[in-house]
Amino acid sequence: MSGRGRLVGITLWWLALALAAFAVQHTLVVNNDLRSFMPPPRNADQKVLMDEIGDGPASRLLLMAISGAPPEKLAALSRGLVHSLRADKRFTQAVNGSESLIQLDAKLLPYRYLLSPTLDRARFDEPFLREQLEERLQDLGSPAASSLEDILPHDPTLETLALAQRWTPRHAPALRDGVWISSHEEALLIATTRAPGLDTAAQAEAIAALRAAFTALPDAAAAKLTISGPGYIGAQIAASTRAEAERLSAIGTAGFAILLLLAYRSASILALVALPLASGALAGLAALVLVFGNVHGITLAFGFTLLGVAQEYPLRVFSHRRAGSDSTAGVRGVWPLLRLAIVSACIAYLAFLASGVPGLQQLAVFTIVALLVAGAATRWLLPPLLPERFRDVAASPLMQRAQRWLAAMPRPRALPWIALALALLALWFAPAPLWQNNLAALAPAPPAELAREGKLRAALGAPDVRYLLVLHADSADAVLQLSERISAQVDQWISAHAVDDVELPSRWLPSMETQRSRQARLPDRATLTAALDAALKDLPFQPGLFAPFIDDVEAARDLSPLSPEVFEHSPFGARLAAMLVERDGKWYGLTALDGVHDPSVLAGIAAQTGGAVHLLDLKSASETLVAQYRTRILQALGVAFVLLVLAVGLAFRNARRAWHVLAPMSLATLLAIAVLRACGVPLSLFHLVAVTLAAGLGLHYALFFERPVADADEARRTLHATLVCVAAAVLVFGLLATSAEPVLRAIGATVALGVAFHFILSTQMAMRTDSTRHDRDAG
Amino acid sequence: MTFGILLPALLLAATPPPDAADLIARLKRPVPASTAYTEVRFVHQLTRPLILRGELDYGGADKLGKRVDAPYRETTTISGDNVTVTRADRTPKHFDLERAPELKALMGGFSALLGGDAAALATLYTISLVDNTGGWTLTLTPHDAAPSAHLREFVIDGAGNEPHCFTLQQANGDASVMLLGPLAAAKLPQPPTTAALATLCRAP
Repeated sequence: MSGRGRLVGITLWWLALALAAFAVQHTLVVNNDLRSFMPPPRNADQKVLMDEIGDGPASRLLLMAISGAPPEKLAALSRGLVHSLRADKRFTQAVNGSESLIQLDAKLLPYRYLLSPTLDRARFDEPFLREQLEERLQDLGSPAASSLEDILPHDPTLETLALAQRWTPRHAPALRDGVWISSHEEALLIATTRAPGLDTAAQAEAIAALRAAFTALPDAAAAKLTISGPGYIGAQIAASTRAEAERLSAIGTAGFAILLLLAYRSASILALVALPLASGALAGLAALVLVFGNVHGITLAFGFTLLGVAQEYPLRVFSHRRAGSDSTAGVRGVWPLLRLAIVSACIAYLAFLASGVPGLQQLAVFTIVALLVAGAATRWLLPPLLPERFRDVAASPLMQRAQRWLAAMPRPRALPWIALALALLALWFAPAPLWQNNLAALAPAPPAELAREGKLRAALGAPDVRYLLVLHADSADAVLQLSERISAQVDQWISAHAVDDVELPSRWLPSMETQRSRQARLPDRATLTAALDAALKDLPFQPGLFAPFIDDVEAARDLSPLSPEVFEHSPFGARLAAMLVERDGKWYGLTALDGVHDPSVLAGIAAQTGGAVHLLDLKSASETLVAQYRTRILQALGVAFVLLVLAVGLAFRNARRAWHVLAPMSLATLLAIAVLRACGVPLSLFHLVAVTLAAGLGLHYALFFERPVADADEARRTLHATLVCVAAAVLVFGLLATSAEPVLRAIGATVALGVAFHFILSTQMAMRTDSTRHDRDAG
Repeated sequence: MTFGILLPALLLAATPPPDAADLIARLKRPVPASTAYTEVRFVHQLTRPLILRGELDYGGADKLGKRVDAPYRETTTISGDNVTVTRADRTPKHFDLERAPELKALMGGFSALLGGDAAALATLYTISLVDNTGGWTLTLTPHDAAPSAHLREFVIDGAGNEPHCFTLQQANGDASVMLLGPLAAAKLPQPPTTAALATLCRAP
């Protein structure tokens, strides 16, 4: 192809990729919800657990403090912010203390005798009413009397106040100027996001909207808005990890470009080297759109990491060009082996398809399609576009020296066995724990951020994010009955300081049975009138003052009990709706806990209730899920390894040659893991993915070193290609290993370490160095 | 420009009349101060007024106590925004002053009055002073209708440096007259109407 034709070809290819990228970007839905990457829940309990892990009400809370302005300005800012957030679809709730509970909602007012616990202990008879009326007389003499006068005629026993008290959080902050103000002169607020706490992208969007709403308020410039909460911390960590990853990959890309210029002395190579990988990645994404519709963020992150092997394909082609032959001759020479590497990797990833975990299936589809397309692009699209003028690397004096040095390197036969023994010893004696199941440990929150979150949470009396009390029953009403049965136990916990507060669903709505029994205790009109008249004797209340009370009690006798469905439409209904959850015909009462001091005491409830109530520890539950997920990955990797062995064995039809390729790869993987473990690193999913990428690269090194070649020139070209590949991988991943972000460090250090071991062991165990090896294989 | 002209006028409006300011400064009580009282409360929901006897305690800005000794025992303490009501052998009830805005407005007035702070009082109330034969009558009318919708006016009767009566007139017709110091032990007019009590408060 002419120089002009090549230029047109490269430009067209890039344009096509840009178009494809545009199309994919507009159809691909990236889902950042960690749950879709977990094994599918097998029963209703697990479904609830999965919901709560990413979706629990406590994980959706954003806690806010406004400071730096005088108190009256703070109150105005607090009111203004709540007002804006209530109008924003991204938030389901925004509170700042201004919502008065004293004024019971008109819809609930008639139900007060059914909702309040007064009638459980008392009857509206003469002695009780007399005692109440005498107290009301004293109330009228107290400085706060005027607030009472309005409700007195309807509610002389003050059931509305009893309900307001019951529904007020036990640890609400103090009010000043009508809003919550902390002792540090900050206005405190809580907002609940619509998006789950783990959806870092949606959380970041909600936080940006919140900041914009605050900045738009008058006088906001003088004040400072502090935000915290699980979603906020998650979004912060995600943003800093992304910024760090982008910075390091920019440096890595520049380093890679310099490496290529040094290795091939050609600038046009730079325009070509990324094409197969980019084509593969886009094809993989397109396949995901077609097959799944949406992709999990982690699938993409893991998928792109695993796709790193495809970066080697064009490098092999560049290094294997031969002086004096046409541009495709070198490709034809290495293609059978490259094809073997690609096909065997794809066969191995088939194991992920069979895993049954949606996240892993997506990973398999992406990786297989991407590798096949990157390989095909390298074989058929790349060669015609290669620059005509090039340098045959076989002629490089440096390569000749390197080849001699490697050939002369001692290869003690015992070395692999010693390495194996050392690796096993290291694994055996490595400090516990072997696995890191806490995904959060790889993305740790800054301690100052956590401390601030803890302070705000305590000041606001916001529920604990880790623990949840779960009630199981067959219906919503049965959950409420269960909740009533354990309320005495819960009060004991609170007085024993095992927990600060427990928001049982029955605190909001009593069961039907309880409501009916209270209703049954309400006297009829004649009885009540007689009791009230007797109770009023000699008391100075105006005659007929309590007629509304008599009417209300009469009306309450005929009400049908308030059901959860009706209650959910009242202003407090959202609270109850979030607590009563139905899954597959079973009902769950999710009870928020505030300030858990002694989880072991709370955990005892399971035994007392025969398992109907249990303490859910979301941290340990999510760790269990991660462990299950890892088991699936390990099984899939095990099957993948067997498939790889079969594929390589079948391709070679020679056990010795297969052994020379697979043994260094396996041993190097083991050594990389052993070094990590000996350094006390507990292994996470990210380490597993990194080890898998390194193994894919190591397979290439071993396959190419083991390849029988016609002459020393071709062996030098193989060495050159491999050295460029190793240098590129160590450069890019070594940079990641310097990161302060644990996730990036885990991936970077593991791949860099693995690649180094794979290269060394390939030169030791797979490399053909002299004719004796050829003879040995032939014989 | 306009602002330059308005500012002195605004300052003038918020300044109490000079003789009232002088009187208020003289009403300042040393901390802590306490005085016996007899309170007659007129509540429209009741057929006869409530009569309470006890002691008022002033503990400095934002600290006020009211003890009822008869006909029942009750102690109300207000400290900052926290109100605590303790009745005989019951567990104390706590509530936030924010929950009772009219009480909060009243509290602000009391603090400013007992602290002798005429300027602070003038930010909350319009102040007028009338001299009468036996002494003087200081009338405080809230500026801002919203937070003190219940309170129409707050009248202090006294002579020399001594307040004799606090009278709270509420918008709904309810009223409370507190007879202080020596007057607390005086014989109440029968029947104890607001008019009869006003005469008692202004008697020389």
